[in-house]
Parts: sequence; C-alpha cells; structure tokens
Amino acid sequence: MPHINYRDKQLSFKIVYYGPGLSGKTTNLMYIHQALEKDRRGDIVVLDTAEERTLFFDFFPLELGRIEGYSVHFNMYTVPGQVYYEASRRLILEGADGVVFVADSHEGRMADNVESFCMLQTNLTSFGLDWQRFPLVLQYNKRDLVEVLPLGTLERELGLNGIPVLEAVATAGTGVMETIRTVSRHVIQKFQL
Amino acid sequence: MGYPMEQRDCDFSRILQQMIDKTNALTALLVTKEGISVAEAGDTSYLNTTAMSALVAGMFSATREVARMVGETQFSILLQQGENRHIHIGLIADSKMLVIIFEDFSRIGLVRYEARRICPQLEEAFRREASSDSREAKIGTPLFKEYALNLIDRIFETK
Repeated sequence: MPHINYRDKQLSFKIVYYGPGLSGKTTNLMYIHQALEKDRRGDIVVLDTAEERTLFFDFFPLELGRIEGYSVHFNMYTVPGQVYYEASRRLILEGADGVVFVADSHEGRMADNVESFCMLQTNLTSFGLDWQRFPLVLQYNKRDLVEVLPLGTLERELGLNGIPVLEAVATAGTGVMETIRTVSRHVIQKFQL
Repeated sequence: MGYPMEQRDCDFSRILQQMIDKTNALTALLVTKEGISVAEAGDTSYLNTTAMSALVAGMFSATREVARMVGETQFSILLQQGENRHIHIGLIADSKMLVIIFEDFSRIGLVRYEARRICPQLEEAFRREASSDSREAKIGTPLFKEYALNLIDRIFETK
C-alpha cells in the first residue's frame, strides 16, 4: 500500500531491489539514477562498506509526475545481500509496493539465489502479503558471463509460475530500464484504494 | 463532513512551529516509518529532507531491532549529539517520528520536554486526518492508472 498524503497531494510507492550479495542490485539502481532526467530524480544515498557491499541500503527518490492533481513518487531502495544482514533486509522490505529480485546468473550462485529468494518469500509472508500476488519481477543479471544459468532454472527450482522474467547486464545497462518499467507497471496495475 | 483541509495544514505546522519557537530549534520534521516526510517546519534550506527521512526511518527501524535484542519492544527516543548540531527523534503513535534538529545542546532538556508535550497534539491531528482521508479517496481510478502507465513507459524507455 503506497503512502498517500492527502494534505500535500502526494502518492509515494516503494520499490525494493532484492537478491543475493554482489548480484548487481546497486548497479541496477545506479544505472537508473544516471539514466533519468535530472529534474525527475533526487540525490542517491549509498551506504556501503569499503568492499563496495551495501551495508544498510541505497536509496533515491524519483518523481513520476503529476496525475489527477497528485504528485506521484517512486522511492527506490536496495537491500544488503549478505546473509548476515537479514535484519536490515526485513526493515527495508517492510512497506514495499513492488520487488525486483536480482539473481546472479553465474552457475555457481544457484544456491545463493535460492536461499535469498526463500528469505524474500518468508519476509513477505511475515508482513501478511501473498507473495504470489505481489508485484514481483525476476531479473537474471550478468548474462554476459560465459557459463550462465539457463532461463527457467530458478523458476523451476522455486516453483514460480507467471512471474515476469528479464535478462540483464546491469554493468552495461542492458535490461535495466526494462526491469524497472516492468515492476513499476505491475505496481500501478495492482494499486487500488 | 471531513475535517477542513486548511485546518489540518494549520494543525501540523502550527504545532511544529510552536515547538520550534519555544526551544529555538532549527528544524522539525514529521516522518512516517516508511521514510516519508509528511510535515516540516523551521529552516529546511540546508537539508535534503527526502534523503533525511529515508535514513531516519532506517535508523529507527534498526534501533527497534537492537531494542528487541536487549528485551525491549522499542526505544522511544533517539539522540544524536554532534559538534554543532544535534538530532532528537521521538516516536509518535508507533508509526511516525518527530525529528528535531537543534544547535544549543544545553537545551536538550527543553527539547525533550517539548517533544513529549506536543506528542498528544500530533497524535490527535493524525487521528483527525486519518478519519478525514477515508472520505477523500478519489485516486486509483482507471484514468489515473492509464496516465501513470503512460508516464512509466516514457520515463523508463530503453535508450
């Protein structure tokens, strides 16, 4: 449920990039931020460690525009991917209106992808959400690697049906805008008061 | 009848401004636990209130987890002391945060007292707003969605 400020006529949606450590969540967010027109985006906040791993979250606000008198905003977040930051992830995921699961396409990361997705399912369920009806997009990132997981591998392993799936090379920007467009459309289509 | 819009505007800003006048604080923000600023008073020209609100909400959530680890449900107040500026954050009605930025640390007692004193007023203002909001819900219509989807396609177009 987005935040609605009737007083100031503002509507704010929250989109969270979720996935295992080093799968490219921050790279996705950085690419989107630099690709947007300057007057649409706020400053990006990046809280990372010396090893370039997200410590708490990355964030930037995006102004979609004014619709029927309401100023519509998308607030974009990433979560830290490492398993030991589970508490931070839960906190950031709370109140999300849509999630992009950024999977690492490297064959050796299959178990990490599955573990991370299972945590996502558990968290969404604990917030009282039906994750199968929740606006969720699966992005297979790092498709430029030599040996990649075939498309459909994660869906089969996790029993996912009908989830939008996109391929990406976030470092080159490939598939990044398609992913954010897909999840944003999904969020708006599900939106109701 | 819904509670008049002008009066609600006045409620939040009047309460925050009165607190600023009494404590000589620099800035006051009301932030939701989702990290969105819903009301501001005082000088905000030096501050990115959007980023600040997101960070404050994250900070408060993290503190809640810390509280649980030591057997508390919540720490209701957070205080950050700097060289020149200090931040007092208090929880309101379990879902909003009152952020007060002030410069003279010797006024911490007064800031804390005023933050606690205006809590019931802010809670009452939020209650009135919530009851009025339900009467004003007019968005989420097919037309709204159509416009939003068009904007999304345009803004996130592939270069």
